[in-house]
Amino acid sequence: MILRTGISFFTDTPAYPGADEVGGIGPSLLGTMWLGIVSTAIGIPLSVLTGIFIVEFRNHKLAKITKVFTHSLLEIPTVLIGMLVFLTIVVPTGHYSLLAGSIALVIVMLPYTMSYLERALDEVPRTYKEAGYSIGMTRKQVVFKVVLGIAKPGVAAGLLIGVAKGISETAPLLFTIGSARGDFPVSPMDLGKPGDAIPLLIFQFIQSPYENWHDLAWGASFVLTVIVLVTFALVKLVVREVKL
Amino acid sequence: MPEMAKSDKRFFYSLVPAALVSSLILVLLFIVLIYYSAPAFKEYGFRIFTTKTWSPSEESARTSEYGLFIPLLGTLVSAIIAVVLALPFAISTVIFTEEVIPKGMNKVRETFSTLIDVMTGLPTIVYGLWGLAILAPFLRDNLYNPLYAVLGSIPLFSCRPVTGTTILTAGILLSMMIMPFMYSVIRHSYKRIPAIYKEAALALGTTKYEYSKIMMGMVKPSILAGILIGFGRAAGETVAVALVVGNTFNMPSCLLSSSYTISALIANQFGNAALYPYMINVLVVGGLILLLIGIVSNILGIMYLNRVRYTA
Repeated sequence: MILRTGISFFTDTPAYPGADEVGGIGPSLLGTMWLGIVSTAIGIPLSVLTGIFIVEFRNHKLAKITKVFTHSLLEIPTVLIGMLVFLTIVVPTGHYSLLAGSIALVIVMLPYTMSYLERALDEVPRTYKEAGYSIGMTRKQVVFKVVLGIAKPGVAAGLLIGVAKGISETAPLLFTIGSARGDFPVSPMDLGKPGDAIPLLIFQFIQSPYENWHDLAWGASFVLTVIVLVTFALVKLVVREVKL
Repeated sequence: MPEMAKSDKRFFYSLVPAALVSSLILVLLFIVLIYYSAPAFKEYGFRIFTTKTWSPSEESARTSEYGLFIPLLGTLVSAIIAVVLALPFAISTVIFTEEVIPKGMNKVRETFSTLIDVMTGLPTIVYGLWGLAILAPFLRDNLYNPLYAVLGSIPLFSCRPVTGTTILTAGILLSMMIMPFMYSVIRHSYKRIPAIYKEAALALGTTKYEYSKIMMGMVKPSILAGILIGFGRAAGETVAVALVVGNTFNMPSCLLSSSYTISALIANQFGNAALYPYMINVLVVGGLILLLIGIVSNILGIMYLNRVRYTA
């Protein structure tokens, strides 16, 4: 399928329904890329800071509550995350946007990232921390200069898993990013506008009656699978045991 | 907790905002769902759960009728089918990885296990696409039509399978999707059975079958946990189900007819729901039910998991 269209599969817009040619998944690929970037940009500080809080102040009541609440996010059916973002962001702003989709994906990735992060931060040997304290570092310095440095691979793995989980989700995007394939966002300034994503394209095109759109959906799902598998392979390189 | 130093205290409070944002998402979800579902309860009352019709009207709430009975039943039926089908596969796959693959071949074992883990990681939309385009037609021709021809007199199979997208297809597809979850839950406990027990069982001269049966008895709580967690996953799964369940308001009492699930209903209707009075609210009620199913099954599952304790 991709072989037939060559490189234009990744850059073209989808062809008209029922047309002979297939077109490409350009807008959706771009949208998925933006979703990945923006949700990582929001997700990194949020999850790293929350992770440090949970691990460093583990005996504090607030840390325990935070841990239970963030981990419970894993059990929420993802379509509800789409619902939540629709009701709290899309309705007040009045239109779909890539930003709303990114926020939905941050919520999807948060519990996955957190469980990696906590384990990575937790496994930093005590002696390293004590070495830090012994030369007069404050807790903040120890965490940011010593602990994070040692836990870096685990943190990176957590973020990668989170992003892979996020961009492969469809349900949270159904009512948050719209599915703009004609006038789609290109620059970061357009993130407030509606966009498209690969999973959404597959979901909509396979339900259409058009042969060429079905082909496109298959090609798109191949691309998505490759992206996700490559990410997992990367994670596997970083940490030995992958838990999905 | 001992008193914190001044700089530590500042550090603590600088992290609080991020922690609050992370934990408030769940709280916010509950509040929003309850807030938006209240009008539906006020307008329709408990009737939402018992009505079988779904006839939206753009004019007013009086002329429209929303019943969640069919989707609710569809969600339960498809999730139960999924669990029942996935469980034997999950258990026998655990036994296969842990007992059948020979001791010396740890590499093979790990690779096999990773493959199954990757199954969990595949995008659900890919399962859905495959289910709709390949599994559904295949099942219709090779399973549903023969079933209907032979067992058509039994109510469960008494409807003519027009398309391959049925409640049974949804259950079968879901079973493939949750099998890896149940596998990893059960295997996790299985690996921790102390060697003493294994040796004791072997010393009694058990056959491989008897041995595996004893070992499975030891991880029974984790099997129950796997069932519950798998059930929660299956009930909440959206896009894959929306593609293969058929999306029609038929009672799921006949497994060969297309039906609906709550998650599929939300996926299909929520985007346009604002056009109809109260439709958003009714769908949010459905969402609330999904949330409760997910959380309750998970809490119970974790409770069972914590019961797996070995005193060795």
